Amino acid sequence: MKYLGLELLKLRKKTRSWLGPILVFWLIMIAYPLTIEASQENLEIGFFSVLWIAILLSMMFATEDIFTEDYNDGTLEQTLINDTSFAYQVALKVMIHWLLIGIPISLLSFIFSLGTNGNLSLSLLILPFAMMSSYIFLNLFVLGNALSLNKGSVLGAIITLPMALPVLIVLGKSITAIQLEINYSGFIFLLLGSLSIIIVSVPIVVSYIIKAHLE
Amino acid sequence: MIKKFIHQFASPKTYLFQVERAYKFILFFSLVVYIVSLIWGLFFTQEDFIQGNSFRIIYLHVPASFLSQSLYVSMALASFVYIVWRVKLAAYLVISIAPIGALTTFIALTSGSIWGIPTWGTWWQWDARITSTLILFIMYLGLISLHSSFSNYEKADKLLSWLAIVGAINIPIIKKSVDWWSTLHQPASITLTDKPSIDPSMLYPLIGSMIGFFGIIICLVIISSKYQILIREKNKSWIKEYV
Repeated sequence: MKYLGLELLKLRKKTRSWLGPILVFWLIMIAYPLTIEASQENLEIGFFSVLWIAILLSMMFATEDIFTEDYNDGTLEQTLINDTSFAYQVALKVMIHWLLIGIPISLLSFIFSLGTNGNLSLSLLILPFAMMSSYIFLNLFVLGNALSLNKGSVLGAIITLPMALPVLIVLGKSITAIQLEINYSGFIFLLLGSLSIIIVSVPIVVSYIIKAHLE
Repeated sequence: MIKKFIHQFASPKTYLFQVERAYKFILFFSLVVYIVSLIWGLFFTQEDFIQGNSFRIIYLHVPASFLSQSLYVSMALASFVYIVWRVKLAAYLVISIAPIGALTTFIALTSGSIWGIPTWGTWWQWDARITSTLILFIMYLGLISLHSSFSNYEKADKLLSWLAIVGAINIPIIKKSVDWWSTLHQPASITLTDKPSIDPSMLYPLIGSMIGFFGIIICLVIISSKYQILIREKNKSWIKEYV
């Protein structure tokens, strides 16, 4: 609990780290209508594709310096010799990032969806998909960032982006299923299943990777 | 005895001297088998009832696709061996396999695209099999770039091994993509459990080409791993004897 509060305080104080990704998301969603003939029909065609890619990019920015500062000032080494499991601490760190960045972005997704298509039930369905996908993306980029620690976030993004592509495919298919009014619950369970595996496995793998960096 | 054998063979020195002996035989045998199978498949089998002569690209496409996935699996296994038992040779093999894996995946994607034009009417389709294979190709490139970004080899090996293990999740996705999603790509014609759905006149040269291609790729992996060992063990006294 103490660690949770500390991490929350640290992230809250670094305004750029949590506000930056939200603003990036906002700007992409605002820029989208400017790039096409802004008729209702045109807007709806590519809206969800842009939405998922905006979430993906925002999560990429959200993890940009997740370990860098702690690595440079030696906090990571201190955390490693702590009594609490390092994997557990990584999981908490990711969760806090999701609470401060993923949740607001998911809520914004709902608002943008409602504003674009005016369909409340469809927009409400977007909410769980956005929440789950943002958490999955966050975990994947944390993994990439841990691998490329101190080597720049571009390398981390390159090596983990391929793993995020299946999630984008599932998100695209789920929207098609919702729009065609066919059963979409399978996609929700698929994302939930992937998320539950990722939530457990990524912090463990990340903890080993960071140990390898510090050895 | 087995343990002793593994420990002996896991030494880069023993590996290098052993593969040096086997390498020429494997290369000669594989080239002969592949060329014979290719000639058999290209000139002595009937054309396909539906696809015509375009099907003959299977003698390149199928072995390359099969090996692109097999190489990744072997890379993930070697990574596991390195992480658990700290066998140096396993780490050398992981980074040696990566560029060869990228090459075979590239061949699989390119030959698939060429085959797609006469059969599907398009060279590319964002379906599950093709997209997941493209992801595999990018994974290979990511692994290579990750390893090259560290000057400390030991750290690079560890990180590469972890990424290779995590990325192995893509392999069952590629394998089962044709069953899980409706795709343009046909399901596998040869499986371990069912009778092959391909005519024997096409099947035998295909098996031959797969064996031959496998041998050629093994030789490329041997060359690549020799290069890795020579770089990494350059300060050892036995390297001077070897060179």
